Amino acid sequence: MTHRMQMGNGAFLLGKPSVGARNAQLRIGDRFRLASRPVESHLSVGPAAVLSIGDDVWIGHGAAIASHERVEIGDRTRIGPFLILMDSNFHSGAGDQSEQHDCKPVIIGKDCRIGSRVTITRGSRIGDGARVLAGSVINGDIPPGACAGGARARVLGRATEVTSQGYVAALALPGIVREALELDSVPALDDASIAAGLWTEEHVQRLTAAIRSELGITLTAGDLRDVGSLADVAAIVQRKHS
Amino acid sequence: MSRFRAVPSWLTSSLGARLWLRDCDQVGPGARTFSRPNIENRGRIVLGSRVRLNSGWAPVELVSGPGGKIEIGDKVFVNYGSIVSAQRSVRIGADTMIGNYCIVADTETPGIEDPQAGPSTDPRPVEIGRGAWLAARVTVLPGSRIGDGAVIAAGSIVAGDIPAGCVAGGIPARVLRTG
Repeated sequence: MTHRMQMGNGAFLLGKPSVGARNAQLRIGDRFRLASRPVESHLSVGPAAVLSIGDDVWIGHGAAIASHERVEIGDRTRIGPFLILMDSNFHSGAGDQSEQHDCKPVIIGKDCRIGSRVTITRGSRIGDGARVLAGSVINGDIPPGACAGGARARVLGRATEVTSQGYVAALALPGIVREALELDSVPALDDASIAAGLWTEEHVQRLTAAIRSELGITLTAGDLRDVGSLADVAAIVQRKHS
Repeated sequence: MSRFRAVPSWLTSSLGARLWLRDCDQVGPGARTFSRPNIENRGRIVLGSRVRLNSGWAPVELVSGPGGKIEIGDKVFVNYGSIVSAQRSVRIGADTMIGNYCIVADTETPGIEDPQAGPSTDPRPVEIGRGAWLAARVTVLPGSRIGDGAVIAAGSIVAGDIPAGCVAGGIPARVLRTG
């Protein structure tokens, strides 16, 4: 193999990953942890492509990372098992996978926490300190410090606020609000306009009834009095959930 | 050729269990392993009687970190490619079945951790009741509790509590049917 590889110190490899990197640049920082047990992880870096991984990055087992142009993962980012991360969509000439086109670099920032079974599609950018909930599909940009989830992932709140314990509430709430208030589309949690116009007595009653039946959490009218956005409602639901 | 069939699987699986599960702290009678599981015991791993681990296409992995404890009840079945990882505590009740490629872990990055990296952040115990059934590719997130006899549909991600006896599914898993 004629690839150029820079590997930092103290790598911690569990099991043996499969690495295909011909004529490619592979830059891996210090204390890289990659699990390939119980399911093998593979890194595939195409010709003249770059895969750059920072220091203290952890990646779980069963990962599939393919770079045909450029994939970057920032320092201290931790990624759960069964990641799929690719900068192309593998649509090349019929049956010929040797040349890829339409590659768009994927850039993952520093200090991100990415859950299990997350799929990150080409051209996605995840900002520093962002959090991605398990099972999400990322297609596009996630701002720094945000918590995103769902398929396709939407911003659900700030990374420091959304816990995986309150994950059910955070992910289910927009759908519940849509059904309860008969909205045309699913509202975003960080959308401040949603709270302002909707809190008539009847809306509050419908919403609390829906939250009680769907999530088993009883909210009082007082709980909902001072909310500024759906994220606040999610925070209250999460607090009661734990 | 059938006259020369290899040793029957009930025998190889029982003998294999003696060998492959030797790193566990306790293994009940009648445990069986089909192919070789990965056992990484740096804490405590306790398996009940007649536990079966199938590592046929990908190994089953049981990992306990320092101070972590895995307790698996009697007659539990774990299918291939699944990982059970405890940095603090994971308990699986008797008669529970776990499908292939499941993840049951009390941290977000299951598996052995680099001792040099320091203790893992915020492990939250996981508890699965008796007679539950986790279908294929189920992920149980840290801090989750699954009640007795609950059925979790394939591909679901469990975050939080699932009541006993219900059918739950989806990402995140919600109750689809009660009773």
